[in-house]
Amino acid sequence: MSQMIRPPIVLLKEGTDTSQGLPQLISNINACCAIVDTVRTTLGPRGMDKLVYQSEKNVTISNDGATVMKLLDIVHPAARTLVDIAKSQDSEVGDGTTSVVVMTGEFLKAAKPFLEEGIHPQIIIRAFRSACALAKQKIKELSIDIKPENMREFLEKCASTAMNSKLIASHKEFFSKMVVDAVQLLDDNIDLDMVGIKKESGGGMEDTQFIAGAAFKRTFFYAGFEQQPKKIVNPKVLCLNVELELKAEKDNAEIRITDPSKYQSLVNAEWKLFFDKLEAIHASGANVILSRLAIGDLATQFFADKKIFCAGRVPEDDLRRVCRATGAAIQNTITNIIPSVIGTCDLFEENQVGSSRYNLFTGCTKTQTATIILRGGGEQFIDEAERSLHDSIMIVRRARKHRSVVAGGGATEMEVSKFLRDFSLSIDGKKQLLINSYAKALECIPRQIADNAGFDSTDILNQLRQKHAQGEKWFGVDILNEGICDTYQSAVWEPSLVKLNSIVAATEATCLILSVDETVQNKAAEAPHAGPQMTQQSRQALARGRGVQAMRGR
Amino acid sequence: MSLAFDEYGRPFIIIREQQAKERVKGIEALKSHILAAKTIANIMKSSLGPKGMDKMIVSQDGDVTVTNDGATILDNMQVDNQIGKLLVQLSKSQDDEVGDGTTGVVVLAGSLLEQAESLIEKGIHPCRISEGYEVACKIATEHLKSISDRIEFSKENCEPLIKTAMTCLGSKIVNRYHRQMAEISVRAVLSVADLDRKDVNLENIKMEGKEGGKLEDTQLIKGVIIDKGISHPQMPKTIKDAKICLLTCPFEPPKPKTKNSIEITNAEDFKRLGEIEQQYFIDMVEKVKATGANLILCQWGFDDEANHLLLQNGLPAVRWVGGLDLEKIAMATGGRIVARFEDVSADKLGHAGLVREIGFGTTQDRYLSIEECPNTSAVTIFVRGGNKMIVEEAKRSIHDALCVTRNLIRDNRIIYGGGSAEISAGIKISSKADEIATVEQYAVRAFADALDAIPLALAENSGLAPIETLAAIKAQQLKDNNPRLGVDCNARNTNDMKEQHVFDTLPGKTQQLLLANQVVKMVLKIDDVIKQGAESDE
Repeated sequence: MSQMIRPPIVLLKEGTDTSQGLPQLISNINACCAIVDTVRTTLGPRGMDKLVYQSEKNVTISNDGATVMKLLDIVHPAARTLVDIAKSQDSEVGDGTTSVVVMTGEFLKAAKPFLEEGIHPQIIIRAFRSACALAKQKIKELSIDIKPENMREFLEKCASTAMNSKLIASHKEFFSKMVVDAVQLLDDNIDLDMVGIKKESGGGMEDTQFIAGAAFKRTFFYAGFEQQPKKIVNPKVLCLNVELELKAEKDNAEIRITDPSKYQSLVNAEWKLFFDKLEAIHASGANVILSRLAIGDLATQFFADKKIFCAGRVPEDDLRRVCRATGAAIQNTITNIIPSVIGTCDLFEENQVGSSRYNLFTGCTKTQTATIILRGGGEQFIDEAERSLHDSIMIVRRARKHRSVVAGGGATEMEVSKFLRDFSLSIDGKKQLLINSYAKALECIPRQIADNAGFDSTDILNQLRQKHAQGEKWFGVDILNEGICDTYQSAVWEPSLVKLNSIVAATEATCLILSVDETVQNKAAEAPHAGPQMTQQSRQALARGRGVQAMRGR
Repeated sequence: MSLAFDEYGRPFIIIREQQAKERVKGIEALKSHILAAKTIANIMKSSLGPKGMDKMIVSQDGDVTVTNDGATILDNMQVDNQIGKLLVQLSKSQDDEVGDGTTGVVVLAGSLLEQAESLIEKGIHPCRISEGYEVACKIATEHLKSISDRIEFSKENCEPLIKTAMTCLGSKIVNRYHRQMAEISVRAVLSVADLDRKDVNLENIKMEGKEGGKLEDTQLIKGVIIDKGISHPQMPKTIKDAKICLLTCPFEPPKPKTKNSIEITNAEDFKRLGEIEQQYFIDMVEKVKATGANLILCQWGFDDEANHLLLQNGLPAVRWVGGLDLEKIAMATGGRIVARFEDVSADKLGHAGLVREIGFGTTQDRYLSIEECPNTSAVTIFVRGGNKMIVEEAKRSIHDALCVTRNLIRDNRIIYGGGSAEISAGIKISSKADEIATVEQYAVRAFADALDAIPLALAENSGLAPIETLAAIKAQQLKDNNPRLGVDCNARNTNDMKEQHVFDTLPGKTQQLLLANQVVKMVLKIDDVIKQGAESDE
């Protein structure tokens, strides 16, 4: 018909960027692999740390996959899924964040040749899903249930395995005991807020104190504080949410007097209101007064006179921990304080920790909370130690609920991989190849552990494959002797939940990335710093990632 | 970071502002870190030991600081490099924890990293190096414990404490009078210490400095000094057997906190108001006078009218005393802080044997010194010196000495100084190293070599031939089996540190090793540095 140049149909808004098809898919995979390469060196006991500058003042040194990923500030939409799974692994089980990312990368890499050969992504997805289901089943079969009487040993081992790769690895026995002690104190609900971690720079790691009770840094204080008692045996603790200061009771009130002689009575009335409060507290018999709000100088001096200790502006979570430790209840008013809201413990003391002074409540008999005062040289050192402890606490907490365990050091992955490979031979069709490559991808964990330790990973993997073929299901990488060993015997234990969750999360993320073949990127959304404010939906739209807009050559 | 291209020639942008970001990886990163740490350690090296030199640091505003204290130098140097910052923090945490040995810890960390560098070049995995260091560190701390001595002291016999404090002050500018300074520090700590609980709150020792006078005029005052003068020039300047009234309320009619206004409708009322106000002042002064007080310290001010009234009643007063000073005075004099005039009573007064106002030379500055207090749990060290820099440095030095004394009260084990402990630990570690079968052996041996850095620096700073001196002492130590032999920095013709009375605290030394090791471990574990773009153009 007519050879006229048809005007282009403007379907999308100017500046909108679209790209689609196989190239898009491959490019997404490549982007993910680039990210995986960044974090893979942190895996395993010989994993290295990353130093990330955010600004001159703000530097993080970390070994924790989720932390590093978060700090990388990734904008590529497909690669961002990796950050999300690392985060979800972090919030779900708290550990194994690096391995989940490494695994996803390996699955994607495994899928790439198939895609290039023209296999439809959906077939790959289906095969991976079924492989994942089988792997899950296998892990459940493999896992060893722990008898309640061995509980403590089990928890300690899990805690120390989680610390293996961290900076505090050399003190893992010391810390794993502490972590288990802390978690065991909590009630069945296991509220993590009830384990307070205080950081105080200076001292060696061994100076870290575990307090089965509560502790907090001395708060701001007014004159008169030093005259208060600093050590009270069997204190009576009263926790308040009341401001103890001489102040206007109502902000917008105004008093007018016409007779100057009444002035004094006005002043007196105000004082009386205030002193009545203090007297009421004194009458309650409490001798340690803590308040979330300020305790003014007058009150401080009043309490000092009465041999009462007080601290104002105590942070809320500290106050809650004190309540849990001593059995006190936070009061919002000072009228009618009944004895049951006053808590107690064996000893209250103010003590020097490093360069600060801490208020310690120790010997709490029915405590359901614990505080760890973390020591170490340098802020960043302590920050990293805190992250490691947090991971370890999370692991212990999960392990306490799910009492089953598998061996670490890549042993479980090898066993699952062997199982899947055997299984793949029993089916025909494209699936056979796909499941086989999924199985091969699982081997990335032991390989990476060996690589990071500077071992010959091919050699180690061959030995491992052989052992597993012979039915030795717990053989993994031996870091100490550059070889392989039964990691179950050498007590490298991980809760089976961690493994389950990481395999499922990695497969899910892989499937998500594979199922995307088109990205529509709105220009507005590309504006810098628009990312975090995006809604969940638009973010998912963006998750169909792609390359650079400026270079697309159109 | 450079751009990555996929198979289709399209570049990726994965990370925000990717091009602007810098990334250093692997050995390269490690080496640049080690270099940074070494550079800083080399700066510090020359301030180590009794013959160590001072550094002069000029801040951006032109303030000059002259100091020998490692933590202060690093703090003021404004180190920009991240690894450098780790070292700054390292010396700061040594300062917080022990208060002394801040230079040594940095020198040690630098030397450990230097040793690690050559091991990395040999191809040993950094993690294995730090594992080896860990082993060596454990051997060293155990060994130090075994060669430590306990010193016995009591409130009466504080000679050993003074000796240790003297070692600490040895390297400082005050060392001309270091016996006197050490005595002052020890007496100050002992008077605030709770020997039963082994707790010392250094906040109860106030340090006040004033330029002018001589360094040896520095004195310990069992009481408090505040930089305030008596409020009226005609009031007496010296008060014996002072009964002090401590007030946190102003000399003026009380003001309710609730918003208020007085409506005056006729002249009669206005006059009455004036009278009432007058009456307030009279009442207040009366109340205080009735208790028998002969000195008033007030946290707030009072106007000339009140001041005059006080003068008429023969009540010397001081206004605008800081809250924390007031608290210290209350503790020292056994008084109670009074918040309103209704509560003033005789039993709340504080007592002091002597209160006097001191003036200095020709300056207008006035200090009020409250001395001979019944309770000595708050004391003041009053530092004098030729100029501001010296006063500041003397303050820092005394602070170090206070910390050392405190540590001894907490834990009375000592170790001999002069590098003897390091040499002895080094010998021990290298002998143990041969028993280790794995690659860690090299790292353990490297740790022993790194320990030599301290005696080497000591010898060098004292003008001795470092390597010869060290070799001689090492041989002597092995021959006599005497771990107390160290570098004779003061040329006293003996290498035995026990005879020289050069002591360090055991926790201080152990802490140095542990902290240095920790930082080294942290530096060795980093293999990847990711830098944000904007800040990276240094």
